[in-house]
Amino acid sequence: MLEKFEKFNQRISGWFEWVGIAGLLLIVVITGVDVIGAKLFTWRLFGAIDIVMLSQLTAIAFAAAMTLIIGRHIQIEFIVERLPQRAQAVIDSIVLLLELGLFFLIIWRLCVLGYSFQTTGESSGTIYMPLYPFAYGVALASVLVFLVLLSRFLSSLAKAVKR
Amino acid sequence: MSPEVTGVVGIAVLLLMFLLGMPVAFAMALVGFAGFAYLTSPGAAFTILSHDIFTQFSSYPLSVIPMFILMGTFAYASGISRRLYGTAYNWVGQLRGGLTMATVLACSGFAAICGSTAATAATMGKIALPEMKRYNYDDTLATGTVAAAGTLGILIPPSTVLIVYGILTEESIGRLFVAGILPGILLSIFFVGTVFFICLRNPAAGPPGASVSWGERIKSLTGIIEAVVLFGLVIGGLFLGWFSPTQAGAIGAAGALVIGLARRELSWRSFFEAGKDGLTTSCMVIFIITGAIIFGHFMAVSRIPFVLVDWIGGLNLPSMAIIGIISFIFFIGGFFMDSMALIVLLIPIFYPVLIKLGVDLIWFGVIVVLLAEMGVITPPVGVNVFIIKGIAPDVPIEKIFKGIFPFLVGLILCVIILMIFPQIATFLPSFATY
Repeated sequence: MLEKFEKFNQRISGWFEWVGIAGLLLIVVITGVDVIGAKLFTWRLFGAIDIVMLSQLTAIAFAAAMTLIIGRHIQIEFIVERLPQRAQAVIDSIVLLLELGLFFLIIWRLCVLGYSFQTTGESSGTIYMPLYPFAYGVALASVLVFLVLLSRFLSSLAKAVKR
Repeated sequence: MSPEVTGVVGIAVLLLMFLLGMPVAFAMALVGFAGFAYLTSPGAAFTILSHDIFTQFSSYPLSVIPMFILMGTFAYASGISRRLYGTAYNWVGQLRGGLTMATVLACSGFAAICGSTAATAATMGKIALPEMKRYNYDDTLATGTVAAAGTLGILIPPSTVLIVYGILTEESIGRLFVAGILPGILLSIFFVGTVFFICLRNPAAGPPGASVSWGERIKSLTGIIEAVVLFGLVIGGLFLGWFSPTQAGAIGAAGALVIGLARRELSWRSFFEAGKDGLTTSCMVIFIITGAIIFGHFMAVSRIPFVLVDWIGGLNLPSMAIIGIISFIFFIGGFFMDSMALIVLLIPIFYPVLIKLGVDLIWFGVIVVLLAEMGVITPPVGVNVFIIKGIAPDVPIEKIFKGIFPFLVGLILCVIILMIFPQIATFLPSFATY
């Protein structure tokens, strides 16, 4: 069951990662076109900065789950690694529970932020793109991070309570 | 609890979270959020949590990070690193210890288009270690050289650590980049000198490679043209004020991509792998910065940095002694923390002290990077050492650390020289227009 849950998270994270890559490449293209236009033809791409900012927001948020899955985040492991396996599992469970709490708050507050953007009609500075879909998007991407953490928490808990 | 005591408890809890293995970014965000909620109100803390995430993830100044990271991953995928090593090999490979010297030179060259120590060490390790094995180089020398020379990745521009430092201290990233050039060259010379002395004392450690004709040597120079052009365009453009840092990074990433396509080195697979690598690394760095910003709000309301300023001001010590103490804290911290984590944790705390002392933050940025470089090659958290261990699993980790030690002396010497002659770092930035 837990294995299926992990596979589900990996598959969705893989799809989200493609969204992230598209966002990142869009930044390269938009910035490149803007620079070439400005330097060679005295022409600026209208809204380039807005697009770059929102693409980056999307790219980073949608890459978060995969970054976690492949262990890219910096963490200090040399102390916990030296402990017996059960102790490691107990510590991991506590740490993951705290991380779950953090991401629960993040998802909730991003939904609140998105709603406030929606009701006040907040938009980007130049091309007036509404910001609320992006706040909801980051919240959605954070849900996947929450699920990855949950699967790890359940796995650690199972190791901790195993006789 | 007073704000100051709360701040100290917060730092202690943060270090505990680090030691328990919580990712640095999450730990900083969690402790920063909880501390801020305690000192102000939960409502205010909820607001900064979502606001900081949204604004940092969408921050235009931060878009310089993914661009330069992507430039490095595309440069690797385009085979630039392999050609750089080939050229260095042709020129110095036939000398005693020549392959290790070639590794240092190729690392310096690759550092000029890649801003990460881990990427530089991994890239050059994969290329150089099998060659050195083939010529019966001593494992201690071979692995130690690659791990140490990989650290040039964050000193010679572009540098992810200098970008993050620039964002935290609001210093010009262009000037910081330029400041790293001369110290980077100096350190490369020290590293080559270190190899020379090791091989002088123990010639068997680095036997000469195959001899190469002058014609072949000159022909091999074509292997560095693309790296020189890319570096010249990106860093030169930044230096002359043609591009903003983000624009320079995007041009660099696009340039590396064009080189890969023109050389027919880039397949769809390697293109997407490089993209994924760049994306996840960027995600990690931007998460850390966001965590540091949230933690920074907590530090500000705890008044710790300001109390520290007053306390240090009351010590009546000369500025250089205080800078020495701060540098020593960075040095010790580097043993236990990754360079990026160290900088995002300590810079916001010491920033007001540095401002009060009137320290040249460009020069100090270079010093911090050199100290951070020591951190990535010293136990127990020597990231580069673990990377090299992964590439050369048959070499015991103790042997790699032993091989690094002589290079550590070179790094310490470089810090001392920069402390005595800060002009080495500040000379070039004085001409920068950005």
